[in-house]
Formats: sequence, C-alpha cells, structure tokens
Amino acid sequence: MSKLLSPARTQVLFMGNEAIARGALEAGLNVAAGYPGTPSSEIIESLAHVARERKLYVEWSTNEKVALEVAAAASFAGLRSMCVMKQNGVNVASDFLLHLTASGTRGGLVLVTCEDPGALSSVNEGESRYFARMLEIPLLEPSSFQEAKDLTKWAFELSEAIGNVVMLRSVTRMSHASGNVICGKLPAKSRRAKFDYDGPVMDSRTGPMISTPVVAKHTLHQKKLKGVEVLFEKSPFNRYAGPAKPQLLIITSSVCFLYSQEAIKMLGLHKKVGILKLGCTWPLPPALLKKHLLKTDKILIVEEVLSFLEENVKVLAAGMLKQMGSKIFYGKIDGSLPSVGELNPDIVAAALGKIMKVKRKSLPADYTRKLQKAAALVPVREQTFCAGCPHRASFWNIHNAIALDGRKGFVCGDIGCYSMAALSPATGYHTMPTLHSMGSGTGLASGFAKLAAFGFDKPILTVCGDSTFYHAVIPALINAQHNRADITFIVLDNAGTAMTGFQPHPGLPTSALKETVPAVDIAAICAAIGAKVMISDPFDLETTSKILTSFLEDKGSVKVLILRQACALSPEKKGKKKFNVKVNDALCLGESCGCNRLCTRIFRCPALIWDRIKKKALVDEVICAGCGVCASICPQKAILKTEATV
Amino acid sequence: MLVTAGYYVTIGETFGMSQRGGSVMSHLRISRESVLSPQIPQGRADIIVGLEPAEALRVLTRYGNPDVVVLINSRVVYPIGVITGELSYPSLSEIESIFKELTAHSWLIDATIAAVELGNPVLSNIVMIGALAKTALLPICRRAFEKEIARNMAADKCEINLRAFDAGAGMIENIVD
Amino acid sequence: MTTPIKTVISQKILKKEVLEGDLCTGCGACVGLCPYQVIYHDRTVQLHTCDLENGKCYDFCPRTSTDLNELRNMLFDAGDLTPETGAVKGYYFSRATDRQLREDAQHGGTVTALMELALFEGLIDSAIVSARDQEFVQNGVVVKDEAALRKNAGSKFTVSPTVAAFNRLAATKEAGKIGVVATPCQALALAKMKLKAVKEDRGKIDQLKLVIGLYCGWAFAAQKFKELMGQNDIELESIAGMDIPAGKNSLEIYTGNGTKSFPLSDAQACIRSACNYCLDSTAEYADISVGAARFGDSWEEMRHWNQMIVRTGKGRNLIELAIKRGVLEVRNAPAESLRQLKNVAGEKKKEALKNIIRKSGSAKNLLYLDRHDPVVRRFLAK
Ligand SMILES: Cc1cc2nc3c(=O)[nH]c(=O)nc-3n(C[C@H](O)[C@H](O)[C@H](O)COP(=O)(O)OP(=O)(O)OC[C@H]3O[C@@H](n4cnc5c(N)ncnc54)[C@H](O)[C@@H]3O)c2cc1C
Ligand code: SF4
Ligand code: SF4
Ligand code: SF4
Ligand code: SF4
Repeated sequence: MSKLLSPARTQVLFMGNEAIARGALEAGLNVAAGYPGTPSSEIIESLAHVARERKLYVEWSTNEKVALEVAAAASFAGLRSMCVMKQNGVNVASDFLLHLTASGTRGGLVLVTCEDPGALSSVNEGESRYFARMLEIPLLEPSSFQEAKDLTKWAFELSEAIGNVVMLRSVTRMSHASGNVICGKLPAKSRRAKFDYDGPVMDSRTGPMISTPVVAKHTLHQKKLKGVEVLFEKSPFNRYAGPAKPQLLIITSSVCFLYSQEAIKMLGLHKKVGILKLGCTWPLPPALLKKHLLKTDKILIVEEVLSFLEENVKVLAAGMLKQMGSKIFYGKIDGSLPSVGELNPDIVAAALGKIMKVKRKSLPADYTRKLQKAAALVPVREQTFCAGCPHRASFWNIHNAIALDGRKGFVCGDIGCYSMAALSPATGYHTMPTLHSMGSGTGLASGFAKLAAFGFDKPILTVCGDSTFYHAVIPALINAQHNRADITFIVLDNAGTAMTGFQPHPGLPTSALKETVPAVDIAAICAAIGAKVMISDPFDLETTSKILTSFLEDKGSVKVLILRQACALSPEKKGKKKFNVKVNDALCLGESCGCNRLCTRIFRCPALIWDRIKKKALVDEVICAGCGVCASICPQKAILKTEATV
Repeated sequence: MLVTAGYYVTIGETFGMSQRGGSVMSHLRISRESVLSPQIPQGRADIIVGLEPAEALRVLTRYGNPDVVVLINSRVVYPIGVITGELSYPSLSEIESIFKELTAHSWLIDATIAAVELGNPVLSNIVMIGALAKTALLPICRRAFEKEIARNMAADKCEINLRAFDAGAGMIENIVD
Repeated sequence: MTTPIKTVISQKILKKEVLEGDLCTGCGACVGLCPYQVIYHDRTVQLHTCDLENGKCYDFCPRTSTDLNELRNMLFDAGDLTPETGAVKGYYFSRATDRQLREDAQHGGTVTALMELALFEGLIDSAIVSARDQEFVQNGVVVKDEAALRKNAGSKFTVSPTVAAFNRLAATKEAGKIGVVATPCQALALAKMKLKAVKEDRGKIDQLKLVIGLYCGWAFAAQKFKELMGQNDIELESIAGMDIPAGKNSLEIYTGNGTKSFPLSDAQACIRSACNYCLDSTAEYADISVGAARFGDSWEEMRHWNQMIVRTGKGRNLIELAIKRGVLEVRNAPAESLRQLKNVAGEKKKEALKNIIRKSGSAKNLLYLDRHDPVVRRFLAK
C-alpha cells in the first residue's frame, strides 16, 4: 500500500509535498492538475500514484494556466480540485486567475504554489504571495509538515465557504523536506459532477460562471473576503507561543517559523522573545494582530523573500496607531534581514542577536581558523551536464556550427536542464547568453532576428526542451514564422521533463495516470506552421553538425531541428551503458600540440578525467554513462568504444 | 524507522539543478521534543556522512565542530573545474589529516569499490548505511534495515542490498568510545 | 613588431596577427593538425581555444615570422638564388606530350604530367591536388592514380586549403611518399614545416618528397567570387574552367554554354585581401614552379604551353626523367621571357611591401616579414 494512503492516526514521515497531497486526499479531492516544476512536482506525482484507488483524475497539463482551467472546470462542476505549480507558474496562470477570482468558484479549489526562495532550483526567486493580495484571495502558509497536511485539508473547506480560490504557499525547504505527520481520515464517498448555469447572473452557485457584471461581482468578492478575516481570527493555524510580555515579538510564517524557533533556542531567548506564527497570511486578521502587537513595542517580522507580511502588518498597525501607540519594526525594510535569498536559522539568529544584544556561543577561535583554512582547499563544484547527457552533444554541435559560420551567432536560452548552458557558460561552450522564462527563448530569437535592418547581422538560434515546446513556445514560434524571422529553432527532445523527474508531456504516449494517450508530434506541428523541419540524433555529430551549418546558411525563414536522444538519467537508460569506453594511452596525445586535452579541457564530460601523473585522459567507469560521444571527438581516435554486452 | 520509534525527524534536502554535478546536501535532524528546522545551524552537526571526500570537507567547514564524527566514502568524484585543470583537488592524505585534526572521530572507507565488487556502484549508498549503522551513532540496526528494505524493494533486490549493508558494516572496525 | 614576444599562446597570436590581421591565405597549414583549427569554406576558423605555446599552427603558418634566409639555405643551392624569382636551376617552356591532357589541363598540362610520372615511377605514393565540390567548396584531395589527377586538373582561382590535406595524410608515419601541388603560400608553409617540425614530427614531415609550385598573382575570396557569378547569372555548377588570357586584360569563365568574359577590374574586386601582402608570385619554395607561358603574340598559340622554373636537384631529376620517358616536351625559354618574368615578380614584391607598410603604418614594421632579409630589403621602396 502506498504510504500516502496510510490509515488514520498513524504517524508517518512525509515529504512536505506528500503531506500536501495527503491533506488534499483527506479533503476528498477529485481532480488535480499541474505543470511540473521544482519544488512542486511530487504533489501531482504522488497523487497520480493513488489516483485509481482514490478515484481521482490527475493530469500533467501543458502549462499552469491550462492546469488551473482544468481544475476550475472541476470546481464549476461542484468537485474538489487542486492545481499545483511552482512560483513562476502562478504568473503563467495569472490571466485566468484574475478572471476566475472574479467569477468565483463552486467546489473547493486550492491553488498550490511551491516557491523557491534562494532559487535553489529555479532561475528566479519570484514571490506569488502578492498575487493573493492583488487578486483578493486567501493565502495559507504551512510551517510544519503536519500543518502542510492540515492546512491543505482546511483550504478546501475555506474555498467552498467563500466560493473562491484559496492559495496555499509552500517553499523548497518545506516541500522537499520531510517530517512527521499524523494522518487523518480519508473520506469514503466521492462526489458527482454537475454544472448548473441557468440561474441568476449574480448567483455563483447556479448562474453562469463569468466575471461580469464586473463591479457588482467585485463588490460581492470583497464582501466574502471580509468573511475570511473573521474565520482567520479564530484559526488554530495562527498561534502565539512565548512569554506573556515578551521583549520582542516575532511574527512569522512558513518554514521561517522553524528557523525563528531554532534561533531563539540557539540564543537562549525563550523567556524574552515570543513568536506569533501565522498560517493564514492574507487577509490578516486585525483583532488577532492587535492583541499580540499590544504585548510589546518591538516586532521582528521573519519571512521569505520580500517584505509581504511586514507591509501588511505595518498597514494594520498604522490603522491602529491610536490604540497601540508606535512600535519599532524590524524586518526586511529596515535591513535587519536580507530581502533576497532564503533565510536559515543562522541568519535569523544573527538578526535576533543584534536586536536583543546577545551573542551566540561560538566555536573555539583556533578551530574556526583551521576550518577556514580547510575551506580554501575545497574546489568549487560547478554544475554541469551529467555524463552521457545528450545536451552536451547538442551544445557541442551548436557551438561548432556557430563557430564555423563565423558571424558570432548565439542561442537564446530557455528553461530546462539545458539552462545550465547559460548558468555555467563553459558547459554550453559559451553559446547561450540569454535565459528567462519558459518559451521566452523563441520569442527573443524572433525579435533578435528582426534587427537586421538595424545592422544586426548574426545568426539567431534558440533551444527549448520537448516539454517547454508545448508549454509556451508554440505562440512564439508561430510569431517567428509569420513575421519571417530568420531563426534556427532547436528542440532538445530528451523524451521527458528530465529536470523535474520525467513527468510525461504531450509528446509522449503516456499520461500521468500511465494510460495510453495520443502523443502530439512536435515535428508535425512545426511542419504545419510551414517551417523547415529536420530531425537528428545529437550523438551523431557529423550529421547534426551538417544540418546545423546548412541551417545557419539558409537565410530567411524558420528552420527547426529536433535533436532526439533520451536523457542519460531516463529510466530506460539509467545504469545501462551502450558502449564500454576507454582511453588508449599509447594514442592519447594529452597536453601535446595536436590535442591539448580536448576531451577534459573543452568537452568536459565529468566521466572523462585527467590523469595528472600519466598525463593522459582516463574514463571513470563508475561515472561514465557509455554514450560514446567522446570517441567521436577525440582527434587521435584514442578513445575506444566497444558495444557493451548486457 | 525513527518515526515509528517515536522521534521527530526532519530531513532537509536540496535537489533540482543541484543534482546535475553541483554539490548536494541533506540535513537529517532527530529530536525527542519538537519539529526542527530542515536546515542545521552552522557549526552544529553531530554526524557528517560524506559520499565524496571534498564534499565532506565542504560540509565540515560549514557545519563542523570539535565534537563532530564523520563517515566518508573515499571515492573521489572530480569537479569539472579540477578535470579541466583550472582548480586543484586536495590529496586524500591531506583531507584525511584535516578530518583527524578537526573531528572527534572519522572513518574513510571506499564504499564505491565495495559496491562495484557487489556488481553495481549504486549500492555504495547502502554500503554507507551499513557502515553508519555499525558505528552505532544512530539508533538503526540491521533488523530495522531489513524490514525497511523488505518494504521498499522488490524481493529479488533485497538480498544484494543486505549484502551491501553487511559489507559496509564490515568496513567499520573501531567503534567510538 | 616582427619578432614575436616570448611565451605567447600560439593560437591566440595566430588569431591576432594573421586571422584578424587579414593575412590568412587559407592555405590550410594550421588545419588538420589538431581539433581546434579548421577550414570552413575558405575561412580558417578556431573552433575552441587552445592555450599552448610553440604550437604548430603558428609555426607552420606562412604569414607568421620566419627566417627566410635559413629556409633558402636549407632548400636551395646558394648559386641559384635570384632576388625576384628565388632559386633558378633552369628555366624552360614545356607542355605535356599527351594532347588530351593538354586539353583537360589549365595550360600545357605540365603539372599534371609531372605528378602522373612521379606516381607512376614510385617517386611518390600519393599526390595532393585541389578539388572542388558541387557547393563550390575547395579542398585538398589525396589521389593515387592518373584518372583522379586528370579529373582535378585545371586551375580554380579560389583558395584551396591544400596543406590541410597534407597534414591529415602525414598525421601517421605510415603515409608513404607524398607530392603536393601548391600555390606560393602553400609551398612556403610546406617549407616551414621542414624547418620547424619538432623531433617527434620529423618522420611525418619527411614524407613530403615533392612540391610542384604554381605561379600565382592572387586568388579569389570564394564568397566574393560567388557573388560575382551570381550577379551575372552564372551557375556555379556550370563552371568548367577559368583563365586570365595573356594580353587580354580579362577574366574568362568557361561554362557549359560558352565563355563569359569579365573586365579584370571586376575580377580584382574579388581578390582575397591576404594576397595583397604576398611577395611570392612564382612559388619560390617548390622543387619546380609552373605557370602560363607568355611568349609570341597569339594566346591560342600560347595557352597550351607552360613556363617552368626548376629550383632543386630533385626537380631537375624529375624533368630529366620526364623528357626521357617522353611525357613532357621541353624547350629552352628565351632570355627575354625570364627578364619579363623577373620584372613582373619584382613588381609584385614592391607592391606587396607597399601594402604591408600601409597596413602596419610603419616601414619598420613589415608584419610577418623581416626588414633585414636581403630580398625584402632589395624591394623596399626607398
Ligand atoms: C589561384 C591561382 C592563381 C594563378 N595565377 C597565375 C598567374 O598569375 N600567372 C601564371 O602564369 N599562372 C598562374 N597560375 C597557374 C596556372 O593557372 C596553372 O596552374 C599553371 O600554368 C599550370 O598549368 P598546367 O596546365 O600545368 O596545370 P594542370 O595540369 O591543369 O594542373 C593544375 C594543378 O593545380 C591544382 N590547382 C588548381 N587550383 C588550385 C588552387 N586554387 N590551389 C592549389 N592548387 C590548385 C590542380 O588540382 C592541378 O593539380 C595560377 C594558379 C592558381 C591556382
Ligand atoms: S581528446 Fe583524445 S588524444 Fe586528446 S587528451 Fe582526450 S583522449 Fe587524449
Ligand atoms: S562515453 Fe565518453 S562522453 Fe559518454 S559518458 Fe562516457 S566518458 Fe562521457
Ligand atoms: S596546432 Fe597545437 S597549438 Fe595550435 S591550436 Fe592546435 S593544438 Fe593548439
Ligand atoms: S595562412 Fe594558412 S596557416 Fe596561416 S592562418 Fe591562414 S590557413 Fe592557417
């Protein structure tokens, strides 16, 4: 039996994301949709595993906006649904979200956003908490694994109580951490779908689901939100712990609560500092805030990333100035805490120590000095493509084509494992100088290509992954074709959303529920647009390079190259080598003129190492994935590959 | 295993892009009283289990203290900057002497070789768990491990995993006093 | 300055001095030695950066500094040396006795006939000549028989990275004896290899047994030439040959549907800029150099003859053998012809030196040339 379906009252170790999934199950979830993105993916994944037993419909949608639409349809039909994404996904979904919050919902609809302060696995540390305020919907932030489950469950009830979307926000350190959770009951009954729309326009239970008449519906929307404040006043997810009259009050939410708790303990301040932990962070319950703000004059607000909570608390405090008098606020705005990156117990302890004028017990000075000396010896471990990664071969080909062309062309990057080509430039052979949101590479390329009239004569390339193609590239590609932008568009098709763990996408014949579904063919879509389309295996350096150089020469239109090769970590490849690879020392030129370590200095597969004593290249067989590409680049044919017999 | 034994366990992990050749770290925290933060404060680790020597050193320099004990897989995985020649990698003996000096106790074992001998380098993690169990630093024992393996693995994989566990245990002779 | 700074990265300085300095002849001497230097169309491209010092790419390039005196002393008899046309052991008119070959060849077919003979007699095992593919990309090719030689006869006035083919072939010590047909820059590169090869590479370079040089006034940049053809609706595939007939002041393109003639000024606009800085018009570092004959009045009469300079003992032996075997018809050339040739060759040297000074901005900086070299000094404008 899946751990996710553990019986009520048992205590289990859940990853934050599993706890959220479990909470949804306990709430009687019917439909879940999402788009993969770290740190959110495990929620949909784990729900997909139990979909059959729990009679759920679970899907990976093409993008977050579509996911929210799919979830909303279920809600309109009276079902409970959940929509899951990472922080920037909310931006993608936001246009629909704006209209959805205006029309209202029926069955409980929870939008889960798993955010990434410090951008541990993102190229942004965007905040979606501001969306909750801007679009006037309740915001919940769990601060423990147990709460992740319980808050999620409650979020569905709240959504139904106010007839609108509820946003639940997690962060990497919650979603991807694990902790104890005591399970609750899983409901026995499932709902039936039913969609009424003949009722009065202003009745969101029976009328049409539209955002008009706008002002009238907006008024109703805000009235309901006022009701939320009342519910939040009494919510058990907002809690105070600490002395009755603390010298300092910490107001915090999410995993920052755990950091704050730990910081207080580290400094031995539990008799002096109290914590108001908020599980419900928008709209803030004014009476509750007032009660706790009255306890002291000094308030520290601990949150990630921006000063969202701090601003909201200050606005409330300003409104109650008469009753409360003035307070000293510490937080992001006065610089007590950084408003970039993630926090941790050390950062919070440092801020707390400064305010409270206490010092943390430190290690012996001599020991610290030695640690620092040792730290200087540790080499930086730069991110790179895995051994056997098809992207390395793809970028090798791209680099060479650009170099041969000679006009200093470049690649507009996109989001996926291949973003590494921009994040650590040598990994992408210095070809990819732009990186923004999903699909933006193609849009940027389309724009760059139109700058020829301004004297910008460079071949423009762009890459995207297979999953990204469906997500947001298609409109940009159509734009390029229609506006006759001369671009070389490369699809790095590695048969799965590798970065986030091989979720299926529309290009594959399998769904999240492991059913057989129609695969949507990228090549056919591109051809239908009218682009010139070629397909190649990036490991076939000769053919791929030929196509690419001919594409760069072929001016005036959209050219599409689909580079197809499964990810080295994909389930069908993992642990299986196609080739056994080794270096023949007698042939290897090493550092001499004629090679100068092409494989270890430039190609940079982590499995090819440099034997400093023998001065020869060497294959680390444990790391080598057996792709055989290095054998094709060695000028000396010193790298030998032999078909592996399994 | 620990949850059922009545502990609060918090495991903090980082994955995503850091999986691709960058350094990865997990923080495991065990408490009788309450949920702890998924990030260990600086200088406050009790045990460091390093799957690679330089990485273990990296962790030590941030979380180490004179009382920390360390278990390390001695198998080197070179960072790309070392492979290209831009950076240098400290020698194993250098690393070993640093650990000797700056920790209460350290074990350096070649778990990867043991795993390769068992037929699959992936087993090196299990070898490390076996070794960790043998150190008796954590409340885990072979019986509990057996149960956990039986629950999570296909039957045909159980035996090899247990052998890896035992191989790891066999590599730890001296137990901390 | 002409003397290179010590401890410099070869590839980097090659890029700075030669590639970016517009001196690259596209000869291919730096290509085929390693994975970093390649030729794409007629452009020399550095695919990835290399950080070695004293690399072959820099050492072999005909447009990096060389001690030309040392080179001449190594290759030629001191008594044969002339300032205008290098070493001259003998100066002749010649043509292949095979009529068909004369038809297929550029002029008298001397070059092809000599290569055929060298192959046939086992003096060489492979000949490297220049071939062109459908996309008009020119490359050195290795040929081992008469048919292949004849197929590639005729001059293509675009640049050929012929030396790269030599590098690739000579990469193994088992390539056998090699002969190369080379323009002056290519012949210089091949000569530099003999001078500069490191000990481990000696065996490879010593496989070079014969260099037949081509006279060369300049070569076209492929891109510009293609554009010229395009503007005049000449399909590249249809081009069977080309020449600059003596006394006509025009470029003739022979196509399937007849001859197209262009004013020489049109042709000159297509010249690869590197050629403006080249002092050599007679392939001074070859064993034998061959060009178009310039005598009499009628081009029709001349066009199937060559003039030929024999420079080395090895060259002399080959000519003697050719006469003996009856593959070549050789006449003594009139003194007036040599005088004319020297005149033209001297003029090119002067012109090139002027261009070099204009580029460097100083008579003290002659780029790849040494201003103390006796030949250079002779032709430096006072
Ligand atoms: C770029 C260029 C410029 C020239 N300029 C002059 C000039 O100004 N005055 C003059 O008298 N003669 C010049 N020649 C030489 C002339 O065109 C004939 O090649 C020469 O007279 C020999 O004639 P042939 O009949 O013996 O040659 P063939 O028997 O036809 O043999 C010619 C050989 O040259 C090779 N070849 C063709 N094109 C090239 C190339 N681009 N690079 C290297 N090898 C090539 C062929 O593969 C063949 O092996 C030039 C040649 C070239 C290639
Ligand atoms: S590319 Fe080949 S010759 Fe060069 S160092 Fe690597 S194995 Fe040796
Ligand atoms: S075969 Fe070569 S390129 Fe591929 S993973 Fe192994 S060492 Fe790396
Ligand atoms: S020839 Fe030698 S020095 Fe030059 S680029 Fe190649 S390896 Fe480097
Ligand atoms: S002149 Fe020849 S050797 Fe020099 S850079 Fe150009 S192609 Fe290379």
